[in-house]
Amino acid sequence: MADANLVSAIKTAGGLVGAGLALGGGAVGASIGDGLAGSQTIAGVARNPEAQGRLTTLMFLTVGLCEAAYFINLVFAALFIFSLGK
Amino acid sequence: MGSGSLLTPMLGIDISVGDHVQRKIGPLTINVDIVWATLIAGAIVITLGLILRSRATSGVPGKFQLLWEMAVGAVQTQVDDSIGPRGAKVVPLALTLFIFIFTCNLFEVLGIGSKLDWLPAPTSDINLPLAMALYVIVLVHRAAIKNRGVGGYFKHYVSQPFSPKLFFVNGFMNVIEELVKPVTLTLRLFGNLFAGGLMLSLLAALVIWKLGPVPIGGILSVPFTLLWKTFDMAIGAIQAFIFALLTILYFDTAMAQDEAH
Repeated sequence: MADANLVSAIKTAGGLVGAGLALGGGAVGASIGDGLAGSQTIAGVARNPEAQGRLTTLMFLTVGLCEAAYFINLVFAALFIFSLGK
Repeated sequence: MGSGSLLTPMLGIDISVGDHVQRKIGPLTINVDIVWATLIAGAIVITLGLILRSRATSGVPGKFQLLWEMAVGAVQTQVDDSIGPRGAKVVPLALTLFIFIFTCNLFEVLGIGSKLDWLPAPTSDINLPLAMALYVIVLVHRAAIKNRGVGGYFKHYVSQPFSPKLFFVNGFMNVIEELVKPVTLTLRLFGNLFAGGLMLSLLAALVIWKLGPVPIGGILSVPFTLLWKTFDMAIGAIQAFIFALLTILYFDTAMAQDEAH
């Protein structure tokens, strides 16, 4: 019953689907976070132009944190593709 | 790969990740290339420090000294803003972490996306970020115990953020939070640098894409690699800064006086 080829094909398919889901969902979340950070920075600068320098630093920090969540997903996607899917 | 079809798929390229020069010592497997890259990064940081020490002057500082003073000043301001004068001990730790991680991250620029690099970014292997994160977390808990006393340390877990009557919920949330801290600290740094290396491999693999006789992948690969490396240097700097900043913030929560909440 347990055809080795079939098992390995299912594993690969599952790994790729899982990686795709992780990357896609992660991209959605990270981009929403980036957008929120950017829009609020613009709103803040429009309200108080002197604060631009400080706000920009904070924005890059937030963007870095948001993207980091996505990069964590990317590590797991790589795990799915290259280790579990093999 | 057949170059006949118009859009030759990228499938079938063997991109592998996590390859290292390895030595087995008993049950341990040691990634030797990461070890030597870490040592080189450490040597660079120490050399920069020693050069600064020999040249430091209280008079008009040179460019090199200004650079260091800027870094120290940035960390100092950050610590003063969040912890206050009690946090003076955190400054050297955070500064060293920042400079060291930044140096490590810059090694990524030397990579060409090959299977094994001579000088891989040490932070693109999970062992170094994990070690640094654990070191930071242990020091944070030590600072918390020093600040609150052993009894206060454990009491702190169950007495906030909700009222102490909900001690079970409080304890559950706080323990989860403390357990997650080192994991995210590690994976954030590792994930970014690892993704950088993976992207370099993908860009290198782009070379096999041919549109008829035109090696379009090879033409695209060069500017994309340059762009990506520029972007990657910025990512490396931001991630180094975030690691140092989170270290400071963790110390801030550990050293906070309870009245301040």
